[in-house]
Amino acid sequence: MNTLLDEDEVMLKESAATLLGAESPASLVRSAEASDLKYSPELWRRVADLGWCGLCLPEEYDGQGAPLAWLGLLLEEVGRHIAPIPLATSSAVALTIARFGIGSQREILRSVASGESILSWAVQESGGAWNIDAVSMPGRVDGDDVVLDGTKLFVDGADAATHFLVAIRRQPDDAIGIALVDARAAGIASKRLVNMAKGDQATVSFRNVRIPRSQVIGGWSRGRDALTFLMQLAAVFSASLMAGAARRVTEMSAEYSNIRFAFGQPIGSFQSLQHMVADMLITVDAVELLSREALWRIDSGLPAEIEVAQAKSFGSQHCITVCRSAQQLHGGMGFMIEFDLNLWYRRVVSWSLCAGTAYEHRRIIASHLLDRPGHMRLDDCHPEAGDEQGRLEGHNETELEVVK
Amino acid sequence: MYFAFTPEELALKRAVQDFIAQNLNDDIRGELATAELGFPNGPHSRAFFARVVDKGWAGIAYPREYGGQGGTLAAQYIVEEEFLRIGMRIIGGGTGEPAILASGSEEQKRTYLPAAIRGDIFFALGFTEPQSGADLAGIRCRAVREGDHFVVNGQKIFTTAAHFATHIFLMVRTDPASKRQAGLSILLVPIDLPGIVVRPLMTIQNNPVAPPGTTYGDPKTNEVFFDDVKVPVSCLLGGEGDGWGVAQRGLNLDRIGAMRYLMSTARDEDLVNWLKGESGIAASLRSDERIRDKVAEIWTEGQVCRLMTMRSLSIAAEGGNFVYEGSAEKVWGPEHGVRATEAIGQILGPFGQLLNGSGHAVESGVFAHNLLGAFQSCVNHGSVQIMRDQVARRGLGMPRRPSVAEAAAKGLV
Repeated sequence: MNTLLDEDEVMLKESAATLLGAESPASLVRSAEASDLKYSPELWRRVADLGWCGLCLPEEYDGQGAPLAWLGLLLEEVGRHIAPIPLATSSAVALTIARFGIGSQREILRSVASGESILSWAVQESGGAWNIDAVSMPGRVDGDDVVLDGTKLFVDGADAATHFLVAIRRQPDDAIGIALVDARAAGIASKRLVNMAKGDQATVSFRNVRIPRSQVIGGWSRGRDALTFLMQLAAVFSASLMAGAARRVTEMSAEYSNIRFAFGQPIGSFQSLQHMVADMLITVDAVELLSREALWRIDSGLPAEIEVAQAKSFGSQHCITVCRSAQQLHGGMGFMIEFDLNLWYRRVVSWSLCAGTAYEHRRIIASHLLDRPGHMRLDDCHPEAGDEQGRLEGHNETELEVVK
Repeated sequence: MYFAFTPEELALKRAVQDFIAQNLNDDIRGELATAELGFPNGPHSRAFFARVVDKGWAGIAYPREYGGQGGTLAAQYIVEEEFLRIGMRIIGGGTGEPAILASGSEEQKRTYLPAAIRGDIFFALGFTEPQSGADLAGIRCRAVREGDHFVVNGQKIFTTAAHFATHIFLMVRTDPASKRQAGLSILLVPIDLPGIVVRPLMTIQNNPVAPPGTTYGDPKTNEVFFDDVKVPVSCLLGGEGDGWGVAQRGLNLDRIGAMRYLMSTARDEDLVNWLKGESGIAASLRSDERIRDKVAEIWTEGQVCRLMTMRSLSIAAEGGNFVYEGSAEKVWGPEHGVRATEAIGQILGPFGQLLNGSGHAVESGVFAHNLLGAFQSCVNHGSVQIMRDQVARRGLGMPRRPSVAEAAAKGLV
């Protein structure tokens, strides 16, 4: 048991912090917001060259084969600097393909690792629910093809994406599948939403989009598992981003409280503000610990459904509070568009509401705890999984087989 | 990062769990149900504890030459947690023994540590006085050196274990001219010395008595009076005037560690497992969407307690270079315990106010008694307000507020 970062992990996180500190200033975030693309191709190229895009992808597809928790550390820094790059989205999709893809389906990972391909997911529909049961978009089987027809909402990086991973239901039997679709294919149209993060989020419609059935990742039989995995990664990556962003506003608050004076002393010497900022730090640490544990478990082949839901529900609920406290401490400046704090606040709001709300994820937790048999302990809430140590010990071998 | 125990540690955990499953019987359980602070209090629990000692599980992380096994802190944590779950305390971190290990003379270590690990001696913590809680500047209990003795006069309060402890880990002022932390010393005082009077103070858990496992379920604490008590100089721990430093050194797990973790989270598990049970009330409550949502929220907060405890364990295992993390845990855990207990009260409705022994009490009234005791965890061993001061200053570099004198000099008051 060691929740702390080891030397390699510290080095990775610090180098990411240094890079983004230099190359993702608030001015870059603002210019990306104002641009058509909504992200920075230059920064994307830069991090791709550093290997970020393929950090956890298999080495045979030009990735680095690093542990998933390492990507979480990078995403914490991406969130801390609100770097305008689609790393979380593209990585979640690529890692799903890496785990569930069969045969040539994984070939695309080379271009993901190089940064050429940018992947995005398309899961939610008009009801907005983050829930597999709410997926209803049909995929009609027609010979060797599948024909997609429907509309997806809240698709992140919609314009930047070269491919979408689309959640569909096979007609007529309603089996779940996730289909990789070229974003420029005939019949696809996107319409950008104006979200609080002012990012590249859109409604994407699919009209008689015909793809070969070999594009259904992992085949229909593993569709539900693959979509579950994708949604777990999307949720926990969002928690990593929120943890990083909330940490930055906490740091900004502590700094500001030392230079802003009132009644003859720095406002940071007032105990009411010290206690508020202390609560911010405690909360940020909590989100970080929850998301790191969830990623570590996924990577170790352990059940992580409840851990992911814990991280995202807690992050969604509390990171907004952290940002609001930062605004409170900054007074009127927190409400000014020219003051940078709002850049973080607006993104945290968007992240907290997408990829599942606190309520949606708590529903997963409650179901896990109350609807299945077995005695629950906080340190062992997977009685159905049996001997975790056995799974941990056997894990490395099975993973290698999958990779081969 | 490695969010699991090692194979050896997990094997130990299973061994302890198996031992408990095979050996814990109703006789032992019955005695432990009324064991104050988890100390065996009858023939069955004492025999059970002796077997635990024989297995080498008590004081497992202490050096072999002082009665331990030279094990890891993780091993100690595992053993402590499993036995605390059945209401029995095993020596681990705390104010007494770790400080003796860190600051004691060779003779003191050989005298006190093996005996403490066997359960033959036990320290009550004697810091707090009627006029001095977190701020040690107020300590008035005096020890005056006269030859080979200190003569102690004064009073301590909330000395919880004093009525059954063998010794008091006593903070005294040895230099009357000193202010604040300087001039304080630690004495290891046998409780049976002439001139010591222990008087009980009843808590709000006194009648009826709280069921086992209740957070701060103690039915009573004490005040202790010292009237010309002659304490041998050999009882001085560390240097004279170094009492504050002695109390700081050694692995103090009073604020963190297995006991605090379980104080903060035991009801989270109890709630979930009770809701899954057979009772008709539980069945109707567990299908209520509002309650399910609240249960998930409580559970997740409890997981944060666990992760913060594991973080502290990780820091301690790497040498104990805490910055603010222990203080953060001492804010989050106790306050979670209060929030969770209050929410559980709302979930149980009128059943949530029924105490031990009452008809219709849920789980012997443990949730109701927890409502009486949970907030004490926010108060004792450094209040959550003091802890937040430390998080802000150490964790975030926020400025200390000016002292009264500084403020006056700047014209602020």
